[in-house]
Amino acid sequence: MITEPRIPDPDGFYAALLAAHEGLSEAQSADLNARLVLLLANQCGDQAVLLACIRAATEDPTTAPAP
Amino acid sequence: METFAFAPACELPVWPFTPPPELASTKIVRHPIVIVGAGPSGLTLACDLAQRGVHAVLLDEDDTVGVRGASSRGICYAQKSLEIFERLGICERIAAKGITWSFGRTFSGTQEVYNFNLQADSVSKQPPFINLQQFYVEWFLVERILELGLTDMRWKSRVTRVEPLSDGVRIKIETPAGRYTIEADRLIDATGANSPIRTQLGIETHSSRSTDRWCISDVRFQKPLPAERWTWVDAPFNEGRGVWQHLMADGVWRIDYQMPEDCDTARISQPEVAGARLREQLGPDVAFEFVWIGPYGYRDHLLDSFRHGHVFFIGDAAHVVSPFGARGGNSGIQDAANLGWKLALVAQGQAGDALLDSYDAERQPAAKQNLQVTSRSARFLAPRSPAEHTLRRAVVALAARHPFARALVNTGRMSVANDYPAAPQLPEGGRSVQNLPLRWADGRETTLMQLLAEGTQCIGLWSAPARTEARAAMDATVSLPLRLLAIGGDSGLPTLQADEKLTRHLGIHDAGGFVLIRPDAYRAATLPHATPDAMAAALRTALAHDTAP
Repeated sequence: MITEPRIPDPDGFYAALLAAHEGLSEAQSADLNARLVLLLANQCGDQAVLLACIRAATEDPTTAPAP
Repeated sequence: METFAFAPACELPVWPFTPPPELASTKIVRHPIVIVGAGPSGLTLACDLAQRGVHAVLLDEDDTVGVRGASSRGICYAQKSLEIFERLGICERIAAKGITWSFGRTFSGTQEVYNFNLQADSVSKQPPFINLQQFYVEWFLVERILELGLTDMRWKSRVTRVEPLSDGVRIKIETPAGRYTIEADRLIDATGANSPIRTQLGIETHSSRSTDRWCISDVRFQKPLPAERWTWVDAPFNEGRGVWQHLMADGVWRIDYQMPEDCDTARISQPEVAGARLREQLGPDVAFEFVWIGPYGYRDHLLDSFRHGHVFFIGDAAHVVSPFGARGGNSGIQDAANLGWKLALVAQGQAGDALLDSYDAERQPAAKQNLQVTSRSARFLAPRSPAEHTLRRAVVALAARHPFARALVNTGRMSVANDYPAAPQLPEGGRSVQNLPLRWADGRETTLMQLLAEGTQCIGLWSAPARTEARAAMDATVSLPLRLLAIGGDSGLPTLQADEKLTRHLGIHDAGGFVLIRPDAYRAATLPHATPDAMAAALRTALAHDTAP
């Protein structure tokens, strides 16, 4: 898993991501994110990296505890 | 309200109970092999043994095939099972009665999102799948067993108790004519998911029960639909839930409908309710009649070990998985074929008890793999949380437009001949060899299954050996159960024509390459440059001759 910066225009990417979610309900945003995750996963295409990314995302300490 | 008709009941065969000699005697008779349960796995094992010339006793509490009348139950028979049936001499009958298919389509709503063609990877004489109601398969197996005439078939014989002994098993049996007791060197439990033998022995099953609910409809109608496997993730005619649609023998379709988890299982199976569902699916103009309707909730379990001393567990008695991908019955049939030749060689004194341990070492991991594969399909089909629903919606939405996402649509991964892990008797691991069409040097046609149907021996396929080497190899393996064949060349051995498809499937690349194929058509060893000694050593390894019992 690469954790060094690689996105050429980070602010531009983030703005595009926010723009894609603009005006969506919570459910629509969740659907959009899910589609995006799957599309990006296929770009990566490396099983070990994908599993490492899932682990890294799961370990985020700021995630709210389950209700 | 529309009323719905049932077809006349299918006439199932009945076989007579014949009082066995033990009933009239107080002497306890000992039998080498006793199989309990005449379902697909128990019958396949009895038939496999009989084909090898090995006698067995087969006990069954019923006197017919099928349960719950002529319900279809296991309907998809996979290529490996069909190859086993070919070797046992009933595949032609199954093919003539059943529906051959290799193509599957998956729909979401009204749109096709995924399809597969299993024929693409096949080099076998047998098709990827044949659909047939389970009772027909059992029926054909019984008739073949009776034809072979070596099996002591005891109907209406219920096992009430088993007692493990130091050198075998004592079995108490109840019949319409009274009770008796026999002993067995080895007992094979093929009594199915609710095995009373397993329960009585107190063996842990690690079972779990799904909350997913289905309704099965076996129904006959005339509508020109292709003989393909159609599945819906979310069918518009089933309130957005899953549906399976398959053609079987006698023009009967098997349709499985996913139901709400909290449904009333009695109500969903009423003809009016099931009929209304089917009417919505087929449209107003198609006449149909039901053959069988019933609710279905699946479960799974897996024994830690398929062998407990002198008791062996095969089929559903050993493992139960959810039905997606047809990995239940097919796995039981393959259990039987894995154990059959091992029991035969032990009975004939050509292998020791250690070979029987390899049954568990091979089939338990296969069942574990099937459990994992089917559990993943089950979870795709019945998401457990809002997040799982969201992810599945994303997969289905993307699959309609992008090929990559189609691989994530999981309505069942079809049964395969599982690879076996590396083990003392299988140093390279084991992989099934398909039923390749073969041709003798003189042009006569044969197949791998035809070669394996005679007796119980491994087959050694050797690419163009030299004459002196061939003679030395015959000498080195003379006391071992091996049929040595050449592929091409002029070695003096019985010779098959060289064929690129054959050598590629076997993984033989150069002259002198050798592949050892077990009686269950699994590749036991590959020797890139075989010598007679290495060949004999590979054979001894495959038969667990060197493993301490």
